[in-house]
Amino acid sequence: MDSVVGSKVMQQQEQTQNEDREVILSVRGLKKHFPITAGIVIQRQVGAVKAVDGVDFDVYKGETLGLVGESGCGKSTTGRTILQLYRPTAGSVVFEGKELTTMRGNELRQMRRRMQIIFQDPFASLNPRMTVGNIVSEPLLVHNVMSKNERKEYVSHLLEKVGLNPFYINRYPHEFSGGQRQRIGIARALALNPSFIVADEPISALDVSIQAQVVNLLEDLQQELNLTYLFIAHDLSMVRHICDRVAVMYLGKVVEIGPTNLVYDNPLHPYTQALLSAVPVPDPEVEEKRRRIILTGDVPSPANPPQGCNFSTRCPVSFDLCYQEPDPPLIEAEPGHFVACHRVL
Amino acid sequence: MGVLMEVRDLVTRFYTQEGTVYAVNGVSYDLQEGETLGIVGESGSGKSVHALSIMGLIPQPPGKIESGSVMFQGRDLLKLSRDQMRLVRGAEIAMIFQDPMTSLNPVLKIGTQLTEGLKLHLGMTQSQAENRAAELLDMVGIPDARKRLDAYPHQFSGGMRQRVMIAIGLSCNPKLLIADEPTTALDVTIQAQIIELIKQLKEELGMAIIWITHDLGVVAGIADTLQVMYGGMILERGPIKAVMHNPHNAYTLGLMNSLPRLDEDGNRRLQQIEGSPPDMRIEPVGDPFAPRNPYATERCFKERPPLRQVEGSAEGHLVAAWYDLPAVLKAEAAQNG
Ligand SMILES: Nc1ncnc2c1ncn2[C@@H]1O[C@H](COP(=O)(O)OP(=O)(O)OP(=O)(O)O)[C@@H](O)[C@H]1O
Ligand SMILES: Nc1ncnc2c1ncn2[C@@H]1O[C@H](COP(=O)(O)OP(=O)(O)OP(=O)(O)O)[C@@H](O)[C@H]1O
Ligand SMILES: [Mg+2]
Ligand SMILES: [Mg+2]
Repeated sequence: MDSVVGSKVMQQQEQTQNEDREVILSVRGLKKHFPITAGIVIQRQVGAVKAVDGVDFDVYKGETLGLVGESGCGKSTTGRTILQLYRPTAGSVVFEGKELTTMRGNELRQMRRRMQIIFQDPFASLNPRMTVGNIVSEPLLVHNVMSKNERKEYVSHLLEKVGLNPFYINRYPHEFSGGQRQRIGIARALALNPSFIVADEPISALDVSIQAQVVNLLEDLQQELNLTYLFIAHDLSMVRHICDRVAVMYLGKVVEIGPTNLVYDNPLHPYTQALLSAVPVPDPEVEEKRRRIILTGDVPSPANPPQGCNFSTRCPVSFDLCYQEPDPPLIEAEPGHFVACHRVL
Repeated sequence: MGVLMEVRDLVTRFYTQEGTVYAVNGVSYDLQEGETLGIVGESGSGKSVHALSIMGLIPQPPGKIESGSVMFQGRDLLKLSRDQMRLVRGAEIAMIFQDPMTSLNPVLKIGTQLTEGLKLHLGMTQSQAENRAAELLDMVGIPDARKRLDAYPHQFSGGMRQRVMIAIGLSCNPKLLIADEPTTALDVTIQAQIIELIKQLKEELGMAIIWITHDLGVVAGIADTLQVMYGGMILERGPIKAVMHNPHNAYTLGLMNSLPRLDEDGNRRLQQIEGSPPDMRIEPVGDPFAPRNPYATERCFKERPPLRQVEGSAEGHLVAAWYDLPAVLKAEAAQNG
């Protein structure tokens, strides 16, 4: 890997590189460990699932940052810990200039209006006993904004915005298709006029023919409302399509982050290289010529990560250092493109 | 190579409290020996039900195979007794499913689940079967195979369980392997391992494969023939390159255009297919895609289009459409300048 331009510490470089862009969210040293307990009568902690284990990244206003990686690598936990739906074990989350991790009560509630989440499963995330109107207006009610009549008018407006006929305002979720339910979830997320949305696999549960509808809607809304997205996904082709930058996670850590085209055209971490090579392309002629990096073995458990580099147990290019030294830090390999790998150092 | 299986006019329905579900509405095709057939289509389009019908695994009631035939090596599988069918399953046709946990027995050791079929179908003794079982686990890339025979399914990861399912599926050298979304629940790196494994085993063993998936990328890498299903019918099928590079059905084209590609940077707006999939509780009249098809003609809503050979395309490239897609697209392009 001799395409390396230089190596500077992440924070320093970021400041010089992106002075012109406004950082809306800044995550530093974020950790979320879930305790593993044992014992029937007296529960005692015997270990911890290190779901998120030291994550640093910035999100710029108006951009979409993709968060990718295999199942269990900590994507959803990262999203939820940023929103303070889970309280972090360590680290800092600064959103619109304010530190969230120490915020409580009313102050935190006020901040939450600015940050929303859209979930993967449009079937499980909507209360089946509430009408669409009530689902979408619930956040308004909780935060006690608008009168009843204003609310109704506003909800109709939101439904229209996400491409649903306001005529359906009194219907229940089961009367809608998957794609329509995801639109309801999006309308609810938009109700309090947020600036930042965590979209946690918003299209994974949808049919291929419906995914494009929802993605186009998310893109249109971003343009119109100047929204910032953290887009969590499995589908690396969709991530390339929708994201300005992408962060690749492995076992609770970010191993590579950078502008989408740089990461996809020139992946530097051996895990990113394997991940991208594994994604099939819907073109038989391209597939005939593809060369895959087939990883051996399974992802280690986040309760018991490897001694050295997290990826060392599956890495096709690991050497002594990777087993002896602790996890390598993220360094900047080309402008804006960071990677954590001893091979690249 | 000869024809291995002939599916003709297969119709399967479910009679439920909410009404009749028209799951498979007349499916016909030939599968050649050693062919890999990829089946793609919307969720609920009858892909799984069609496969389960072939395998004699439709729960009856509420399900019922209303008509059709499945000729496999000279016999109509739909006419076999339950016991005869049990012998066909496993020995001649094997099936692997999306979630290996539901098809592996959680309380039986992996070894026991592998040796059962070997003893039943191939008449092996216990020790012969154990040796073969260890070989099979080794073949699908499970390290320390002999020791792992004593493990239980929950001690394996998702990818390893799917390998075990493949080992069980292939243990009796079937002529046909039906894989229903075998990698959908797995991560892409594990999916790549499994696909590589199946390709390699196919090379060695030469069985035919029906691979059901919603991922057009996956079929592009493994299938000889692509079959596109919608509303319980086949809308297009043929040699994979012909279908993917020269689609003649508006649904096939719509699917291709709505997909972002890994090898394409993200500036294009995705073309979306409007509307939602059909309600399978309504008996289909005409072309099931017509309500979402911008090119639908009046006839599409009234009369079902038969599968016909696409003129000028590869032999066996069949499409069901009343409209002439390339002609319509050409006219559209001319209009837009
Ligand atoms: N509430 C919880 N309690 C204990 N462990 C948890 C909890 N939530 C997540 N975990 C564990 O933390 C790790 C990371 O989980 P997370 O859901 O963040 O992964 P993910 O990357 O979102 O995966 P997926 O792609 O499957 O959604 C996993 O090992 C998971 O089992
Ligand atoms: N046991 C059952 N009882 C009633 N309806 C059923 C049953 N099994 C399947 N169906 C219905 O039959 C139709 C076809 O289902 P099928 O499982 O074949 O779809 P599929 O194409 O495999 O979809 P997917 O991609 O989601 O797996 C659906 O409308 C489904 O709801
Ligand atoms: Mg998740
Ligand atoms: Mg299915």
